[in-house]
Amino acid sequence: MQITGNMRRYAWLYVMILPVLAYLALFVYYPLVQGVISSFQETKLLGGTTWVGTQNYETAINTKQFWQVVRNTVLIGGGIIVLGFFPPIMVALALNELVSLAFKKMAQTTVYIPHLFSWVVIAGMWMYILAPNGGIVNETIKALGGEPISFFTSIPWSRFLMIALPIWRDMGYYAIIYLAAITSINPSLYEAARVDGASRFQQTWQITLPLLKPTMLVVFMLNTLGMLRIFDQIFIMRNPVTKRYVDVLMTYVYDLGILQGKIGLASAISVMVLGATLIMTAIVWTVTGFGKED
Amino acid sequence: MSQSQDSARMHKTIGDRIYQAGVIIFLVVAMSLMIIPFWNVVAVAFSSAIGSMSSGIILWPRDFTVNGFEIIWKNLGLERAFMNSVIVTFFGTIAHVLLACLAGYVLIQKDLPGKRLLVGFILATMAIPGELIIIPLFVVYKSLGLLDSLFALILSGMVSGFSILLMRNFFSGVPFDLAESARIDGASDFRIFASIYMPLAKAGIATIALFEMVGRWNMFLPVILYINDSSKYTLQVVLRSLVTENQGNSGTSMITPNVQMAGILIAVLPLLLLYPIMQRYFVKGISLGAVKE
Repeated sequence: MQITGNMRRYAWLYVMILPVLAYLALFVYYPLVQGVISSFQETKLLGGTTWVGTQNYETAINTKQFWQVVRNTVLIGGGIIVLGFFPPIMVALALNELVSLAFKKMAQTTVYIPHLFSWVVIAGMWMYILAPNGGIVNETIKALGGEPISFFTSIPWSRFLMIALPIWRDMGYYAIIYLAAITSINPSLYEAARVDGASRFQQTWQITLPLLKPTMLVVFMLNTLGMLRIFDQIFIMRNPVTKRYVDVLMTYVYDLGILQGKIGLASAISVMVLGATLIMTAIVWTVTGFGKED
Repeated sequence: MSQSQDSARMHKTIGDRIYQAGVIIFLVVAMSLMIIPFWNVVAVAFSSAIGSMSSGIILWPRDFTVNGFEIIWKNLGLERAFMNSVIVTFFGTIAHVLLACLAGYVLIQKDLPGKRLLVGFILATMAIPGELIIIPLFVVYKSLGLLDSLFALILSGMVSGFSILLMRNFFSGVPFDLAESARIDGASDFRIFASIYMPLAKAGIATIALFEMVGRWNMFLPVILYINDSSKYTLQVVLRSLVTENQGNSGTSMITPNVQMAGILIAVLPLLLLYPIMQRYFVKGISLGAVKE
């Protein structure tokens, strides 16, 4: 009686989780396997596929554009990681120093809000602000007697913007992660430092910053993984002039697979990126101990 | 922190004062980097077409009017795209949250056979970024006849390992005795789930619902991937063609800046309205994908 009762209960539990399992099987695992299969195939114009061995992989790594795209990805992604590392920490430390709670809340809200904006919104906003005519920045340059800059069509500037705008967007988000870590530091540490006569700056430098190391590591890892997934910002802000210099792996895959119909080649590149992602994820999970609870 | 701040206020050295002033100046600069661009957008959005095109920096509406909003909403078809986004966000979020709750509940059952396997099957998907399977996913959607439907967008991202994990963590905070005594009284699992667990995990539900809403409202890649029929375009995709195209090369566009900026304001308004509620679930939601809880 007990056993059949349990069996019925388990059956119900399985029914409850079935939609999730079916979804993941159909929309994650199946495409994953299919992607790997396609990477060894060529899709013919009239439908149907033929096995081509590792030809797609060879084509990819022998294409100049592939390496250009890899270089762009590392440059833009690496730029975000390096240049974006300190601003959120500085914002978090500054927020933590504030005595006025009202100002703290306002500052926190203000720096966080851009994180809610889509890339379309951010691109639209900044394209207007940086426009050669009528944009705040170029109007200021003109007023100071300089030549206006076409930011979005200049190759170095557009690359810089692909790095600077994500930092602008996510600064407040990461600052809040850091702030949460700072708040959880034991106050008695500061108490002891004050007894020893440490100034606020010394307390920050010698207590807060060292204790933020684990959080810095997590943020660094998240950004490193995120590097390979960059898509929206590039796709939206690129143009025919800058395309070659800002295209990253995911926009390249999209162009090849969806726009040009080169499913095999696009899949081969996806599989290589996936391999890189899995290796990096394994490192992240090992270092941070994430997902260990089971 | 407030305690240490109080005592800091009591004996401030000159160095501490300079440090405090530096902190405030730094934050004000950081805040202006956010506020000035946004304020510029607001000022232009409420300007007239001619006002928005005249030279000089616009930090206050020129010939105040809501004309830009009317044009983008009615003439340029943002209304329909807005409604599509509302539909996708609304139904997508409900389905996402419901599935995450159901799975989260199943995963806290201690005695369920095969549970480790289920957990592995779900958690492993978290290591696979959706962007990397877009090509085969596109083929799957195509062969299921889902292209060019809002349903495709609702379906996209409907299940997430992160949300399931978060709900499972929330549910495991519910005292097990509650479920046990209900079970002895003859309640089914579905009933225990709906009447005990769901109400007690409101904070968790709110967290994933709010962040899912933002994500869906801003959804971009799935829309350009699955939708070709412009009557099914969502707000972001329509807005993109209105605000970014033509601008790259010439710096000018057929559409006047006041109309473009009005579109941007319409796109961020729902998020700004949501923000005060979100703030309450902030840290938990933010650490969702970031830190092990």
